[in-house]
Amino acid sequence: MKSAKDNVELISIPMVVDVPYRFAAGKYMTRFLTELRDNGKFYGIRCPLCNRVQLPPRIVCAVCHVKNSDWIELGNEGTLVGFTIMYLPLTDPTTGKPHEPPFAYGSVRLDGSDSVIDHFLNVEPVVEHIRIGMRMKVALKEREDRVGDLGDILHFDPVT
Amino acid sequence: MRKNVAIIGGGQTHHAARRHDVNQVELVNEAVRAALADAQMTIDEIDSVLFGNMEFFEGCHMTDCWLVDGSGAYGKPGLKITTGGTVGATIVGAGVHHVASGLFNKALCVGFEKQEEGDTGAILSGVAHPLFGRSLAGAAVGYFAMMATSYMAAWGAKEEHSAMVAVKARQNARKNEYAHLKLDISIQDALNSRMLSYPIRMLDMCPASNGACAMILADEKTARDRCAKPVWIRAMDTAHNEQFELDWRDVTTKKPIFSRVSASRLYRKLGVDDPSKYFDVFEIYEPATWAEMVWYEDLALCRPGDGFKLVENNMTAIDGPIPVNPSGGVLSTNCIGASAMLRIWEAALQIRGDAGGHQVVSKDIRRALATAYGGTNWTVLTALSGTMDD
Repeated sequence: MKSAKDNVELISIPMVVDVPYRFAAGKYMTRFLTELRDNGKFYGIRCPLCNRVQLPPRIVCAVCHVKNSDWIELGNEGTLVGFTIMYLPLTDPTTGKPHEPPFAYGSVRLDGSDSVIDHFLNVEPVVEHIRIGMRMKVALKEREDRVGDLGDILHFDPVT
Repeated sequence: MRKNVAIIGGGQTHHAARRHDVNQVELVNEAVRAALADAQMTIDEIDSVLFGNMEFFEGCHMTDCWLVDGSGAYGKPGLKITTGGTVGATIVGAGVHHVASGLFNKALCVGFEKQEEGDTGAILSGVAHPLFGRSLAGAAVGYFAMMATSYMAAWGAKEEHSAMVAVKARQNARKNEYAHLKLDISIQDALNSRMLSYPIRMLDMCPASNGACAMILADEKTARDRCAKPVWIRAMDTAHNEQFELDWRDVTTKKPIFSRVSASRLYRKLGVDDPSKYFDVFEIYEPATWAEMVWYEDLALCRPGDGFKLVENNMTAIDGPIPVNPSGGVLSTNCIGASAMLRIWEAALQIRGDAGGHQVVSKDIRRALATAYGGTNWTVLTALSGTMDD
C-alpha cells in the first residue's frame, strides 16, 4: 500500500485463521438438548433455594451457588421482551454463512421460565408487525431433521 | 484502600479508522511515550506494567509478550489482563491494587486495540456461548438494538432521543483533537443515517477505531513529590454478572443489573447521596446511544425511565449541569482495549483542567466518575478527585 502522504510503501499481510472446535455439552445441557431433539420439549432447571427456573439448565445456580436438581417441563409459548430487525448480513458464527437481511429476531421468555431465549421471529420484518409483550410460540424442525442443538428451533411464531 | 493511589500521568494516540502506518508495537509505544512524557518519567522508573486488549482481536495471543518493547515491560513484572470491553478499566484496577498494596510505587497501565487488523464481528461471536445462542451472535449492534426496543416500549423514548445523544457525542468529539469521529452532524443527519438494526442507525453506533491509552499510577509520596496535578483514585467497584440471563436488555427487569449494583456499592463507599451533584463530570462507556440513556438511570443520575429526558433537556451537554462524555465518548472513539481506560484518563484530564478544547468550563471540576462496559453486561466504575479532601 502506498501512503498518499509521503509515498512510502507500507506492507500489510492478509491472513485467514480457521480454527475448528468441538464443545462438550455436559450432563445438564445434554439432557436439555436430547429432550428438545427426541421429544420436542423444553426443560428448565429450578434452583432449590431461589426457585428461579433457569435456561439453559446448568448444574450450579450462579446466585445461590447450590446444585440445581429440579427439572421443570416448560410450555412452548412465551412473551417477547426485546426485538430488532437486522439489516446487516450477519454471519452465523456456527456455519460461517450469512443470515439474509432484513430479518427479525428477538428475546422470548418462555412461560414458567426466568430466562430468555433469543431466536428468529417468523414475522414480516417491519416494526409495525412486532411489539414488546406479544405472545410467541416455538416452531421446531421436524423430528428427523433435529440434531440436538439450539438450531433445532426454527423460529418463534406469533400466537394469533 | 490500604494506600492512596494517584494518576500522575497519561497519554493517548490520535485515534483513527486506519493506522497502517504503524504495527501494534508502534501504536502502543506512541501512548506509552506520551504517558511517560506527561509524567516526566523514564521507563526505568516504572516498577510494573499492566497490559491488555481484547482477546485475539488482532489475531495474536500473549500481546503482553509480543508487544514488550512497545509497552516498556522488558525485564519488569506485570500482568496481561483481558476482560472484554471493560479491559481498560480492569487494567487500571489491577494497577491500583498493585500500588495500594505497597508492593509497587509506580505502575504503568497500557490498553490498546488495532481493530483494523482483525474481524471484530467474528471474534466477538466467541463471547456468546457456543451451544446456546451463538448462531445469532456476531455483532454488538443487535444486543443494543434489543435494549433499545425494550427502552422505547417501556418509557416512550423516540428515535429522536437517540439522535440527540449521537449529535452530542460527535459535536463534543470535534472539540477533542484525539477523537476518531469528529462529525459536524445534526439530529436530522442521525435520523437519516443508514438503519443497521432497528432502531439503531449508523450514527447511533460507535466506530471501529485503532488506538492506545497509557497511564501511570503512583503511591502518595511519589505523587506528591513528582506530580504537580495528581488525580486521586477514590474508589473502584466491579461485579461479575450471571451468564445466560440477558435481562439487562429488558429495561424493566427486577433482576440485579450489575451497573446498578456496582454504582450503589461505590456510592456507599464514598458517602454519595446524589451522584448527579456529587460528581462534576462523567465519562461513561456508551457503545450505542441507547446505552448512554440507560447508564444515566443505572448510575442514578435520574429515576428509571427518565434517562431520555436528561438528553432532551440538554442536561448532559458539555455546558449542562451534568456533563456526560465531553470527550465524545465511545460513540466517537472505540479502540476497545483502550476505551475504558480512555474514560478514566479523560475524567482525569477534566479534573486537571488539561482537556483542552473539550474542557468543561461551566463549572469547577473536582470529582469525576468513569464507567466501563463489556460483554456480557458487566462494568468497572472508577471515582476520581483532584484532592484527597474531596
